[in-house]
Amino acid sequence: MTDTVVPPRSTGWTLTRRRGKAARDQEFTAFVESTATRLRRSAYLMCRDWHLAQDLTQQTFTKMYASWERLKSGTNLDAYSRRVLMNLVFDQQKRLKGSEIVLAELPDRPDAAANPELRLTLVEALAGLSVEDRAVLVLRHAEDHSVETVATILGVSSSVVKMRNTRALSRLRTLLGDDFLDR
Amino acid sequence: MDANLRDQFDRAVGHDPGADPSAMAHTAILEGGRVRTRRRRLAAAGVAAAGLVLAAGVGTALNLRSEAPPPPLTIPAAMMPLAAPGCSEGAVQSGATDVSMFLTYEATEQQRSAIRSALDGDARVESSYFESRQTAYERFKKLWQDSPEFVASVGPESLPESFRVRLTEPAPSTAFERQYAAMPGIQDVVGRTCPPDAPVGGVK
Repeated sequence: MTDTVVPPRSTGWTLTRRRGKAARDQEFTAFVESTATRLRRSAYLMCRDWHLAQDLTQQTFTKMYASWERLKSGTNLDAYSRRVLMNLVFDQQKRLKGSEIVLAELPDRPDAAANPELRLTLVEALAGLSVEDRAVLVLRHAEDHSVETVATILGVSSSVVKMRNTRALSRLRTLLGDDFLDR
Repeated sequence: MDANLRDQFDRAVGHDPGADPSAMAHTAILEGGRVRTRRRRLAAAGVAAAGLVLAAGVGTALNLRSEAPPPPLTIPAAMMPLAAPGCSEGAVQSGATDVSMFLTYEATEQQRSAIRSALDGDARVESSYFESRQTAYERFKKLWQDSPEFVASVGPESLPESFRVRLTEPAPSTAFERQYAAMPGIQDVVGRTCPPDAPVGGVK
């Protein structure tokens, strides 16, 4: 796992193996308690629905508990949990595609300055991006992971992360008006 | 990097309705625990069906995910390749013609090369080759194709790398196995008696 340049906001959880179910459950519970809020919020930014976000986060933890022993000592649990979550989000997105329109239609360029009520919220604007671009923005900016860590989480190269980041930010700027960024 | 951007992301989740993390942990332990149990049963059933006899020190299939010992040090039985047709099923005390050496999950490149050069320079070795995790995984998928759920629960990273060795002469004792088992990076060494047409290493 590449080290983060900008440390993630949650404490860096590194798995240290201990013996026994009680110790394991305790260790796991402590991990969930430290991570749940951040993870659920990222899930929300990905799917715009607090219930679904809760559900995806729960699934992430369930999967992680089921494989807790298989996670190697030294595994970066923060990054690993994001990877599990994002994979669930991607799967969810794939299932929904074609069966249902999940995202509200977004105007290409709201007249933000003249009409504040028409201004999109950040979450709405995020929904206008591809799920891959959205994942990059959430991991990079809501969670403050380094480009390298985001690349590891998503299983792509750093240059792909940078490219998506630039593209997504410029798209957000278009959707949200110029006062959004760069200050 | 961009404080303003981060503030905006923070505000976007400002109306978080909240959730109880301990309840989430509890649910995960219950549900995740059920997944573990299913996986364990499947593995145990599969191992029993295949009639896999385990080499000493590998641990029993039923204890795959037992609570007491830290699991990463043992290679789960179901992930061990089966004996090739014609070969002895388990490890033999004498007369081994073929040897499989499974590496630890933490084996380093340096340890691998040390093992490789030791094998290359060993007069008792007729031929040897290295099997990567990926190759092991392909083989594992074929072997367990009837248990898709089990296959889905295992990734290439769960399978051990190994060296497959054919000996020049049947080994009179387990001295060869013991010698290599002592090398850093080696988890387990299994010697089998195989017919000449068996694959090198004596496993499928």
